[in-house]
Amino acid sequence: MSLFDLLALTLVIFASRYLFLEPALPLRLNRHLRGMLRYAGPAVLTAIWGPVVFIHGEPGRFALALPELAAATLAALLAWRTHRVLLTVTLSMTLYFLLRLW
Amino acid sequence: MNAAPLPHPGRRLARGAVAIAPLCLAVVPWGLLAGSYAVGSGLSPLEGQALSLILFAGAVQLVVIGMAQDGASLAAMLLATAFITARHLLYGLSLRDRVGTLPLRWRLPLGFLLTDELFAVCTRHDAPAFDRWFMLGAGLVFYLVWNLATLVGVVMGETLPGIEGLGLEFAVAATFIAIVVPNLVDRPLWVAALSALVVAVLAAHLGIPGGLVLAALAGMGAGYVTEQVAP
Repeated sequence: MSLFDLLALTLVIFASRYLFLEPALPLRLNRHLRGMLRYAGPAVLTAIWGPVVFIHGEPGRFALALPELAAATLAALLAWRTHRVLLTVTLSMTLYFLLRLW
Repeated sequence: MNAAPLPHPGRRLARGAVAIAPLCLAVVPWGLLAGSYAVGSGLSPLEGQALSLILFAGAVQLVVIGMAQDGASLAAMLLATAFITARHLLYGLSLRDRVGTLPLRWRLPLGFLLTDELFAVCTRHDAPAFDRWFMLGAGLVFYLVWNLATLVGVVMGETLPGIEGLGLEFAVAATFIAIVVPNLVDRPLWVAALSALVVAVLAAHLGIPGGLVLAALAGMGAGYVTEQVAP
């Protein structure tokens, strides 16, 4: 990978992060877009974790696998009841690895 | 709001650092993998570390290393990168009214540090009202941990036993579940998350590229429509 490749990739990534933070960009969010953005967090993060839990194999297909399903359920319950990220991650990962070993 | 004056910037930095600590835990194995995979696929240690220092984008790094090893063209790598990184546009859009009003010396570093994890801690339901020092502290700690983990991975190289098969993805999934679930405090938020879930899984199952952004937009739209129609 050449230095030029690295710089080109950097540019694409940085642009995607920075573009809309630039006030000189002539962009005024209308009421509807602003309203949709309230849901950006849960929507994007769920779009990331969903396939990890429900897609398996190569090429990836929808499938239910006990370790992912059980550990994700435990994570959701713990998160709902305790609101504690570290506790949730630690316990659900433990269950996940136990089920995989078993 | 004319509440009590904000605490010292150092304390606000530290608050951000504490808030992102659990998310750092889940990213350490990924950093190890990014480092060991880079040197294992023929990049020099310096190049491997430079990816983490400059790109600072886990998924892109792993994909690009694999593509470079297979002799992919730069155009192909840029296209794959664009697909993976497009979700950051939504983060920028969400934070535009808060970060976009800051001076350039704040916007540039906060933009550079804007990862999934940083966005997650900044938009948690119990996150403090937007605080640039909080965001900077969280972002810097995450950057540091990512790069230290990469360094260890680079140094250990191929002696690192195959950690790919251990299910690292699940660590990230558990973290995001832990962040998202407490945020679902009303019906539109539930609809947004469930819609994104269904579309993301369906798109992945069908092998549709850009499924992540598609799913995110579907979730956002569904949440907003629910809020307007049946809150």
